[in-house]
Amino acid sequence: MKHENTIAGIILIGFCAIAYWLTTSFSEVSAMLSQNVPPTFFPRLVLFIMALLSIILIFTGIGRKPKSAEFLPASFWKTVGIIISAGILAYFLGTLITLAVIAMVLPLAWGERRYKLIAALAVFLPISIYVVFTLGLDVRFPAGRMLEAVM
Amino acid sequence: MDIGLEYALPILTDPIVIGLIIAGTLIGVIIGALPGLSSSMGVALLLPFSLYLDPIPAIALLSALYCAGTFGGSITAILINAPGAPPAVATAFDGYPMALKGEAGRALGIAAVSSVSGGIFSLLVLLFAAPLLARIAYSFGPPEYFALGVFALSMLASISGEAPIKNLIGGCLGLLIATVGIDLTTGVERFTFGVPELLEGIQFIPVLIGLFAVTELLNQAQELNREKIAIALSAVKLPSLNDFRRVKNTILRSSGIGIFVGVLPAEGSTMAAMIGYNEAKRWSNRPEEFGKGVIEGVAGPEAANNAATGGSMVPTLALGIPGSATAAVILGGLQVQGLRPGPYLFEEQPGLLYAIFFAMLIANILFLFIGLLGAKVFSRISLIPSTFLWPTVFALCFVGAYGLNQSMVDVWIMLVAGLVGFVLKKNGFGPAPIIMGIVLGGLIETSLAQSMIIFDQQWTAFFSRPIAMVFFILAVVSLAAAQFRSLLAKVLPHRK
Repeated sequence: MKHENTIAGIILIGFCAIAYWLTTSFSEVSAMLSQNVPPTFFPRLVLFIMALLSIILIFTGIGRKPKSAEFLPASFWKTVGIIISAGILAYFLGTLITLAVIAMVLPLAWGERRYKLIAALAVFLPISIYVVFTLGLDVRFPAGRMLEAVM
Repeated sequence: MDIGLEYALPILTDPIVIGLIIAGTLIGVIIGALPGLSSSMGVALLLPFSLYLDPIPAIALLSALYCAGTFGGSITAILINAPGAPPAVATAFDGYPMALKGEAGRALGIAAVSSVSGGIFSLLVLLFAAPLLARIAYSFGPPEYFALGVFALSMLASISGEAPIKNLIGGCLGLLIATVGIDLTTGVERFTFGVPELLEGIQFIPVLIGLFAVTELLNQAQELNREKIAIALSAVKLPSLNDFRRVKNTILRSSGIGIFVGVLPAEGSTMAAMIGYNEAKRWSNRPEEFGKGVIEGVAGPEAANNAATGGSMVPTLALGIPGSATAAVILGGLQVQGLRPGPYLFEEQPGLLYAIFFAMLIANILFLFIGLLGAKVFSRISLIPSTFLWPTVFALCFVGAYGLNQSMVDVWIMLVAGLVGFVLKKNGFGPAPIIMGIVLGGLIETSLAQSMIIFDQQWTAFFSRPIAMVFFILAVVSLAAAQFRSLLAKVLPHRK
């Protein structure tokens, strides 16, 4: 197994290659502006430096022992799932209901079992956000497709 | 020297502004005291909401939070050996052993007095040095700004705790993120993938919240069983006259170190605190007692880390080059507010410098009282279960990312930034260099493009500009020094 620096360096070089390829699809610059620095110049310069640093990173990993594999606990994966679901749920349920759901689900996923406190958080968190942001700062949160359909 | 006291006074006597500074201080101490939440994250979370305020009250609020957050970390460092924020790590070396000996109150008292002293020294430097530096910067043209930007990026190599190469790669990643959107010189779309919301570039605030707060949320999700035990706190007392005599030289030395480190681009409170601690130990008559609970071991890092806050605001305001990660966030806030950090800032916003000075001064004085009288309460706050704290933080992240443009695309950008930030952090790439790169990206690219036009595409003409050359040489020196230090760190343990 290779050292994590070597792996990171290889992935970064791959990233630089893809980003460089993307710069080839930038639109052509009009003749009037052609004497200026082209739009590809700076991103390519940064990618070149980044690739160079990544090569050095690869070399720093050669001959070194890799760290023992670290397994992420189930609570981590549950959290990733919950925060991604939050983005999707907000589309259907609206922001405030989504935040109430998150305030219930996240503590449960993290092993919290004081249900009354969880319920209190799920009620007071969205209400506080509504009072401060919607009433106080005039931030309009989307109602969500489901609520819009009902209304 | 006209730097706008007459403009600042009416704003600063406004009860709402005073209230905001007090709120910023309280929030800062709480955020600093909560393990996992740093002042950078606090400023990042509060930034979207500060945009509803006028620029000066907003920056006053964020500056107060910055100062107080740096101090707040020391409360938990001393009481539960869990530094609330990275700058307080060195405080725990001697603060916690003092607490174990039943001297928690004395340690907190020393921490509060040292922090306030360091903070006030640095504010005086800010007040006088920032306008002077701005005056010097009047003569800077695009080539000098480009070279300064390169120097600032090179300083990323020596941010404490991370590998130099990885920090530089992080900085490059930030620069690349800054190129997303329409190129202002040519009008060409770059890396937009046909998404209309990306035409104006990736919004700074969602990335910031994602990299700092969501990344930490995921980090906390792995450490749910970490036990926090609060030490019974006897009455907090001020250091005795004898204590003060013992630490006064340490405070003065560390304040100087903190200001110097703070003024250097990209270097922040964490590095200042580590150097402050090491120097306190080096100058001590009893270095062998360090780590067992000596007051100099608390005074050194505390004076240094708070002195770095004022110091870091000098290049941030005068040059538009952030002096630390939190200053980068504040700089981003200034830019989002439509201000132009740099030498012309003090002309365009005459009251700004005094507003920041007074906000930080009030914050310093306030947290002296808060630190001494409220330490017991704040130590309890630090014991809030993470199962309730982090869902609340996530809700604030969600609302903060959404609120600015009221766009769900920004929420997704925040979530992606958080996930990517976590993977990067796991592999040794910290969020601060990426943020620095994003903040500096516009300045570096624009000044490079302007320079190339001035030089008629002859890049060798950079060598004909003496100030630019000085910055380039400094950049090479800082890169070499960081690499040398990194090599030394690898070699020395083998010698032992």
